[in-house]
Amino acid sequence: MIAIKQASKSYGKKNKVLNNVSLTIAPSEFVSIVGQSGAGKTTLVKILIGEERVDEGQVVVGDWDITRISKREVPYLRRQIGVIFQDFKLLPKKTLAENVAFALEVSGGSAAKIKKIVPSVMKIVGLEDKQERYPNEVSGGEKQRAAIARALVHQPKILLADEPTGNLDVLNANEIIDLLLRINKFGTTVILVTHNKEVVNRLNRRVITMENGRIISDQMKGKYLL
Amino acid sequence: MLALYRIIKFSFQDIARNIWLSVATIIILLLALFSINTLVTIRVTSDSAALAIKEKIDIALYIKAETPETEIDSLRKSINEMERVKSVTYISRDEALADFREKYKNDPEILAALKELGRNPLSPSLIIFPKNLDEAGLLINELRMIDNSIIESRDFSDNTVVLNKINNITKRINEVGLFIIAIFILTSLLVIYNTIRVTIYTHRQEIEIMRLVGASNMFIYLPYVFSALIYTLLSTLIIIAIFYPFLTLLQPYLEVFFMGYNINILAYYINNFWSIFGFQFLVILVINVLASLVAVRRYAKV
Repeated sequence: MIAIKQASKSYGKKNKVLNNVSLTIAPSEFVSIVGQSGAGKTTLVKILIGEERVDEGQVVVGDWDITRISKREVPYLRRQIGVIFQDFKLLPKKTLAENVAFALEVSGGSAAKIKKIVPSVMKIVGLEDKQERYPNEVSGGEKQRAAIARALVHQPKILLADEPTGNLDVLNANEIIDLLLRINKFGTTVILVTHNKEVVNRLNRRVITMENGRIISDQMKGKYLL
Repeated sequence: MLALYRIIKFSFQDIARNIWLSVATIIILLLALFSINTLVTIRVTSDSAALAIKEKIDIALYIKAETPETEIDSLRKSINEMERVKSVTYISRDEALADFREKYKNDPEILAALKELGRNPLSPSLIIFPKNLDEAGLLINELRMIDNSIIESRDFSDNTVVLNKINNITKRINEVGLFIIAIFILTSLLVIYNTIRVTIYTHRQEIEIMRLVGASNMFIYLPYVFSALIYTLLSTLIIIAIFYPFLTLLQPYLEVFFMGYNINILAYYINNFWSIFGFQFLVILVINVLASLVAVRRYAKV
């Protein structure tokens, strides 16, 4: 599903944020990428969504070599990879349903498709009763669920979650992780980037640990090492 | 078609949901447009005033009192054929007297003196209007050279001085005025440019999110370009709605101020509607669209 081969990335001459990173992620896997701030996790996410490009190495998503992806192609990549962030990144002037529909609208989805898919993904994330609320009218957990719903509308094969529980309390964080596990059960590859020790240890799934731009550990049923 | 519909929908949704920001943007555009139109008004008024004053300056040849009409007409025709002459009007002695009486109708002493004189002391005259006011001096020189015994006097030295003064003043006004207008318009355009940039700055998060959910460039840029079109259209329509009543109110004051001169700023704006507001609309639109593209580009790099 994802193959990264000897990827390196630097900002300036001295700041090497990824150093010869290689990893493969199989379809339907649930992988946690952990590490302290500055370990290179976010850069890895940025490379996978086409926001950054590697200086050396190769990055393949599915059958698509995105190592030198052009700016024109980036929107198409992002429709294949669902992404959620710590700060939810919802449009404040749109309702939750409109936020979810927006991802389909901007990719040319038909009105009929939007009408069918939006309520169903809102139901999957448990927000069917709050579709017409604006982001500032719901809790952090609900915002993150709306963001997950938006990430799911393209029925992506990969869901990238960059610190999805960073702004949530334990209860809401657990709910989000449970939701990610359910999505993974449907066959979606989930990549969870986090430094939440409790979450990682509870999952008991594959854990890739990064430090100073390198992968220092890759365990199939791992724990938070650092 | 679906994409266009959505772009327009996003744009209107954005304008409506950020209504105060939209209103503030339009107000700033309006202020800039009002300033520009005020400058246009001042400029047109000063140009019209200078032209009207110049047109009032006529060149007169006074004819001997008892000259037969046929000789006067022959002279009139020969002057009328001169290259620099626009027209020649003949004022007979009677007409000159009537004009004199009308001019001094409120001055009983002058009228009494005229009555005491017992005869018409005025001479007939030919009033000559130059084709090009800037060449009035050359025309005066040519008129000086006409050798005809029926000409009693040709005193137009004062006119030359007045004409030169007016030409100098209008030249100065044009030079300084153009510079001030250029600075002012440039400032207004920069204000407009920055207003749009600030408006889009407040949308930077939205632009970033659009990018992250896979929106193509068309969906990111065009709603803002369309909003720029709406802002421009609305502000132009509002300035038209404001400025015409403003000119209607101003016109009577201008008429009083330039009594006796034909200065009609309202008519100028009506006759030049498309060139004034069409041009302003296009210039503001280009700036707004340019500012939108530059600003969105900055935040759409994610």
